[in-house]
Amino acid sequence: MKIKHTISDNTITISLDGELDASSSVLLDEELSNPSIMMFGKILVDCKNLNYISSAGLGVFISHLQRFEDAQIKLIFFNMQEKVRNVFEILGLDLLMTIVSSYEEAVTIAND
Amino acid sequence: MPQDKTIKRFTFISGCLSWVLLLVNVLFLARQGHEGEANAAFPYLSNLLSVIFILSVFLYQRHHVQRQRSTEFTTPLWGLFVKGGLGAYLCLLFSIGYPGLNQHWVNSPYLLDVFYQVVFGLLVYFLGKAFYTWRQLILYQKTKDVQNQWKWFEILVFISLLVPLFNVEYMNHIFLILDLGLLLGYSLYMSVHLRWVAFLSLDKKWGSILLLTAILASGALFAKFLFQYTDSPELVIDYTDNPFLLLTLAFVLFYALASLLVALFSLPTSRVFEQKNADLLSFQRLSQTIQQGKNEEEVYNMLFESAIKATGADAAWLDIGEATHLDTSQINGSPLDEEVQAMVKAFMTMVHEQDSSAIDQTYLNGELHLLPEFKSLHSPYFSLLVVPLVSAKRRYGHLYLLLEVEQGFDPDTVSVVQSFANQTVLTIENLRLMQESLHNERYKEELKIASLVQDRLNPKTFPTDTWFDISTYSQAAKEVGGDFYDYLQLSESRIAIIIGDVSGKGISAAFHMAQMKGIFHGLMQQDLLPDEFMVQANSALSRCLERTSFITSALYIIDYKMQGVSFARAGHCHTLYYNSMMEDTFYFQTEGLGLGIVRDASYAKRIHRLHYDYNPGDVMVIYTDGIVEARSPRQEEYGEERLKYMLSQTYHLEAEDIKSAIINDVNDFSSDILHDDQTLLVIKFKHRQPNN
Repeated sequence: MKIKHTISDNTITISLDGELDASSSVLLDEELSNPSIMMFGKILVDCKNLNYISSAGLGVFISHLQRFEDAQIKLIFFNMQEKVRNVFEILGLDLLMTIVSSYEEAVTIAND
Repeated sequence: MPQDKTIKRFTFISGCLSWVLLLVNVLFLARQGHEGEANAAFPYLSNLLSVIFILSVFLYQRHHVQRQRSTEFTTPLWGLFVKGGLGAYLCLLFSIGYPGLNQHWVNSPYLLDVFYQVVFGLLVYFLGKAFYTWRQLILYQKTKDVQNQWKWFEILVFISLLVPLFNVEYMNHIFLILDLGLLLGYSLYMSVHLRWVAFLSLDKKWGSILLLTAILASGALFAKFLFQYTDSPELVIDYTDNPFLLLTLAFVLFYALASLLVALFSLPTSRVFEQKNADLLSFQRLSQTIQQGKNEEEVYNMLFESAIKATGADAAWLDIGEATHLDTSQINGSPLDEEVQAMVKAFMTMVHEQDSSAIDQTYLNGELHLLPEFKSLHSPYFSLLVVPLVSAKRRYGHLYLLLEVEQGFDPDTVSVVQSFANQTVLTIENLRLMQESLHNERYKEELKIASLVQDRLNPKTFPTDTWFDISTYSQAAKEVGGDFYDYLQLSESRIAIIIGDVSGKGISAAFHMAQMKGIFHGLMQQDLLPDEFMVQANSALSRCLERTSFITSALYIIDYKMQGVSFARAGHCHTLYYNSMMEDTFYFQTEGLGLGIVRDASYAKRIHRLHYDYNPGDVMVIYTDGIVEARSPRQEEYGEERLKYMLSQTYHLEAEDIKSAIINDVNDFSSDILHDDQTLLVIKFKHRQPNN
């Protein structure tokens, strides 16, 4: 699992590369727990190369969801692979989180 | 051995008897000589009796002298001296007193004959004992060759007993003299087998030298008496004619002399042998510590003592970590000079700072006095050896050894101490491994219990009823898992079935799974609707589930009077269904959020209830993600499609057979490798039976 982030203005884009399992979700949790992340208004998560997400990985996003919502930070997932999206859907997260198909769409929604 | 005992008893009696008869015969012969009258005595009888006596004594000793088993060589030497050698000194006393005795008290012509017989008896006893004591020494750590050589030597020596038996004057036959000369050479050759001397410690060597000298003196005294009186006209028998006696005497004296000289000359080197032996013993002790159940403390003690013994260090200490663990004051009582210790430590820190790899290497300095720091201290130590205790994984500490001489540690000693250190590290690591495995063993035991407890939480049997047929399968990926299922009979015709999966695996998941079961049984007493249950369960879980955990679950309430099932899915896998009327296999597409994700009242909006009227012959398959996310060796997922296909092929079978078919297919697909907990329930609805 590789986690990279790029920053532009008020937006941080986190790209996930590989499998988000029990061990790599710890890294993601560290990334999202970083206080500096609260300075951004929008968090875009690029899931293009995310091949697999375990319940532990989902748990990390779920645990930060409320915090971001309270701080009015937008969390948007994009470029999600079909089977990963399926996992989000089965759990009902697609109705709770914003999942879009492309980066442009994500930017548009973020700027609304 | 009883045979041994019989021989010893027999030879003892025959020896005593033959000696007494010999004495009587000799006295008769002497009387013949003095009075010129013939009597019952024959000169030849003396030869025969003396041979019997010699044979008896030697055979007795042959079975009497004990096999040499230990390296306690001084004990047999002492025994030989006390029991055999002292006889010579007794004779010495007698011979000093003889002239006076003869003149003033007894004045008998027979006295010398009696004395000579006593000397003969004691000599033979001494020779027999010495001969077989030497045998034990020669055969110590024997080889086959040495054993054969000894066997032939013994046989040949005994053959020489034939000479007096046939009453031959060997001096008259040149070939006999030659033969006996060769045998003498053989006995000389036998005297080179002196292996035992090397095993003597220094103290024992001194003791042996003393005893061997005393034994040699005894032998020489015997020889003197034997030859002193040979030409006396009063004597009727002359044992110097007996080549056996001469041969064995020569052999006994040769061997004693050879041993004495070898022991004497090996005195200077014995310290080295002792040192090597001590090192070897230390190694053995160190390597045996694990079997003996020693602890680390004892292993360090052993290393410390062994290293001091091997080097003869004047001062030493052992640092484990940063603290001094052991020092020489605990061993010899003289306290360590703290200034010197601090200086050495400071100096070593400097050395290690200069070269970081040096900390794991042996440091040797034989000229401490050249370093200005030590010079000003007036420390008496000139040589320093620092040996690290390191393994590939860990650094345990350092062993410091100091000597009061320059260049005091030779390479040989250094390598011995290094080997000690390595062996110690190995022993310590093995000890720790063993303790660790004991710990792990306990955890495993506890996990086994947890696994058993959890297994009991999932019901094995459902109420049997004619309305439906149910079959279950559950397998945890680890000892304990997060999957669960359960049922509760709500009324005579209604049953609630729950399935669920706690996020994560292992112990924490198992705890939450048990909690969820409690919530199920608690809440369903109120006969809630599936969606109501989920809302209340979500509320209950919000208070006890940690932030990153959530639970997916689905609750089904089957009413078989009404032939309907109503259910709610909280983020759990879709329910697979076969409709026998439409002959269609499909997934129920309901929406519902997992439990513990949204922790406020808004959850109620995110869960829905679905009602479905079933027909006899319909099949419902409920499962956890371990089934559809099972992976093949090529990392493909089993998937919902394949599961659906499996049901479409097997719906006509009994619930049990449908379950087995699906599980077999999943296991084939994943090559029996379990990544996640798997649970599968197959429910087949049936025709109403007339008797119900």
